[in-house]
Amino acid sequence: MIKTNNLKKDFDGFTALTDVSCTIPKGCIYGMVGSNGAGKSTFLRLITGVYRPDKGTILIDDQPVYENPEVKAKMTYVPDELYFLQGANMNRMADFYKAIYEKFDDDRFHFLTNAFELDPKKSLGTFSKGMKRQAAIILALSCRPEYMFFDETFDGLDPVMRNLVKSLICKDVVESKVTCIITSHSLRELEDICDQLALLHKGGLVLESDIYNLKTSQFKIQVAFNYEYTEELFKEIDVHNIKKIGSVTNMIVKGGREETVKRLEELKPIILEVLPLTLEEVFTYEMDALGYNFDNILE
Amino acid sequence: MITIDIMSRVPIYEQIIEQLETFVLKGILNVGDQIPSVRSLSIQLSINPNTIQKAYSELDRTGIIDTVPGKGSFIAKDAKANLRNQQGNQLKELSNIVEKLALAGISKEEIVDVINKVF
Repeated sequence: MIKTNNLKKDFDGFTALTDVSCTIPKGCIYGMVGSNGAGKSTFLRLITGVYRPDKGTILIDDQPVYENPEVKAKMTYVPDELYFLQGANMNRMADFYKAIYEKFDDDRFHFLTNAFELDPKKSLGTFSKGMKRQAAIILALSCRPEYMFFDETFDGLDPVMRNLVKSLICKDVVESKVTCIITSHSLRELEDICDQLALLHKGGLVLESDIYNLKTSQFKIQVAFNYEYTEELFKEIDVHNIKKIGSVTNMIVKGGREETVKRLEELKPIILEVLPLTLEEVFTYEMDALGYNFDNILE
Repeated sequence: MITIDIMSRVPIYEQIIEQLETFVLKGILNVGDQIPSVRSLSIQLSINPNTIQKAYSELDRTGIIDTVPGKGSFIAKDAKANLRNQQGNQLKELSNIVEKLALAGISKEEIVDVINKVF
């Protein structure tokens, strides 16, 4: 289990992360999204002990991470900007990791390298961006860690590769209860593989929830009435983001679907459309509520 | 056996339940038939195993499947009957829909026509 408490990190007066507290249970695939510069990579670098927190704590299996090789031996991290030893090929990198990670699985390394159709003898410098990413993923998985962290890793893979990597992660989660944190810009990608989703904005944790909850505890509603009304009509309902144009109102409602529909039907609407939100819409509306929108640029 | 519509707004957990229930109702899956394990479905569809486990737990709770630890999950003896009970309250929804159709001027004959076609 990963537990952070009031995590804070500053760089030269700029606060990259502020007051981030979360608990990631074993076997969880935790998705993290956020606006650019929100602090996702900083968060991962803190979790992996690359940075030391300025305030707050990070405990993995009740042990602090920073400068703790015993804890670091349980994790692998595929960062956004990949780094390989100068002039190395995959075999060389495998030897390097083998010397550090006790559980490095040679068979797995060979199996995956073949499966991905990569040449482990070719210099990594000759690999394309996508292939480098695949190589990093193979190396990370071959270390057989208990914790795996992927920073925008999926964003550089083609759809077939993405599914393959997701399946491999699912396999490790279901067989060995591996815990993962995946950051991405693509909510579509995270939706099927993550069970929890966290939304980071300007260094703060804005939202953290079960994905199923996010999709079922709020709805997009379009409603119209053939009588005059104002937004006051909906004051008993937990309405967000309301837009009324003429007799048609579009809004986001938080709450149970049946109860909301019942309340609205009591008002005798002539149009009532209820749609679940996609995760991208959830993101957009949450960010909009924080003032992160660019509608005014288009006016 | 099971497919997921990733573009659908319906949560994956619900899609899995709906599909398995439909298979039981249509006789594609019968009492005692084994359904894919959480593990195999998760790997095959690249979906979080916890989501699938949640769906299976719900199906077990409502008596549609029986999970035998170490062996797998199988369609339960009373699956069809349990589903029929659940679908029972859909009749109320049907009543609401028929009311709306009637208000819109659709004749009783047209509605009965549709019902006949289904059977």
